[in-house]
Amino acid sequence: MTQPHQISPAAFRTRFVLLTIAWAVLVAAVLVAVPPVYAPRLPDPLATHWGPSGRPNGSMPFAVFVLLLVVVWVVVAGIGIGIAARGRTPVRRAARTWFCAGQAWAGGLLLGLQALTIAANLDRDHWTRAADLGWWVVPAIAGAFVLGALGWLAGRPGPDVAPLVPEKEPVIDLDPGKRQVWVSTTTARWAAWLAYVALAAAVPVAWAALSGRMPGGWHAVVPLVVVGVVGLALSSVSVRVVPEALTVSIGPLRWPLRKVRLDRVERAWVEERYPAQVGGWGYRGLPGRATIMIRGGECLVIRYTSGGQLGISIDDAATGAALINALVARRHA
Amino acid sequence: MLLTLDLNDPRPLHEQVAAAIRRAIGAGDVAPGDRLPPARDLARALGVNANTVLRSLRDLRDEGLLEFRRGRGVSVLRRPDGREALRTRVRDLLDEAARYGLTTEDVVALVEELGRNLDDGAGSDPGKEMA
Repeated sequence: MTQPHQISPAAFRTRFVLLTIAWAVLVAAVLVAVPPVYAPRLPDPLATHWGPSGRPNGSMPFAVFVLLLVVVWVVVAGIGIGIAARGRTPVRRAARTWFCAGQAWAGGLLLGLQALTIAANLDRDHWTRAADLGWWVVPAIAGAFVLGALGWLAGRPGPDVAPLVPEKEPVIDLDPGKRQVWVSTTTARWAAWLAYVALAAAVPVAWAALSGRMPGGWHAVVPLVVVGVVGLALSSVSVRVVPEALTVSIGPLRWPLRKVRLDRVERAWVEERYPAQVGGWGYRGLPGRATIMIRGGECLVIRYTSGGQLGISIDDAATGAALINALVARRHA
Repeated sequence: MLLTLDLNDPRPLHEQVAAAIRRAIGAGDVAPGDRLPPARDLARALGVNANTVLRSLRDLRDEGLLEFRRGRGVSVLRRPDGREALRTRVRDLLDEAARYGLTTEDVVALVEELGRNLDDGAGSDPGKEMA
């Protein structure tokens, strides 16, 4: 990443993937290699959980503790390598900086957790006599964020492939005496599946909790239902443009919906937007600068006469934008 | 998908909706293999009852243009062939002619006149239909 100007996006991606793998291997090597060094001075099981008082209140066998951190890291780093190798993240600066920050932060946090746990257990004969965590937590967590910030900086150099430049706004010919409407629906299958899996899992857990087999079950039901409902809401978006208004609705119930009267619209165009740019999935940003994002790529963007914008990730956005522009022009004619 | 309804069309609503969808398929707005928006989305956009749209979709399925797949919605099977596509456009042409006060006979005469010109080798712009 030293000569960002002369390098092609494809070559940069190769280098980026190699660096991501190098970071993954480095963190994994530390996670695997350090605990055995201290193993003779550690109790087994180890104290791995501390209560609010700072006293240890949970333990884990040494091998499980080591393995758990490694497995978590393999998953995080594996997803990261996959994104680096296939997605558009490496060649887009905004996405890349956050990606690097995330990978650095996650690695730092796991290393910090390991260091903290080993330090607290060092030279104790039983996990219940492990040291109080106290203020040690602060540098461990702060260290992860510092690493994250360094990752963010490390991700800055390099190419920034611009999204498709908004072309001249599309327009179509309107036929007088005809009512022209545009409908488009875009679905995000992964969100739907996530929602179905979460809801399907919630049912037996709720049943087990009700029948008393799983007294703490409700603690699992609530997040599962939340994931299910949010997942369903994000699973599809539908936009319709009729001569009077534009209506955006989400989820299988097509509710909630947002209706914008066309006399409030100045113009419309197509833009490529990605979740990493707008801050994730769902309704992102503040009103007047918001994007309804369920998948990266083609978005229909409208500009209000009041100056704000609304983006919606939707297929066939060019046709929708063309119809909106034509309807707005006819309104002014 | 861009759909066009004629505000003065005297035909039953489900035929008009079917014609609008056929026109959109013919214009290449949706290609074979593409999925149509769900019927209720179409219905809300067109301002008609969802059952009307479903009836149109069934008619188009019977024509062989659409395919209903369980759990996957309605998708386009093929584009209307020349005769079907022209039928829709001729219908539009006759409607437009009526607005100018021309009868079907006038249009037929016009078509025959143009046809004779074409036979002499003068090509005319087939024109990309804007649905």
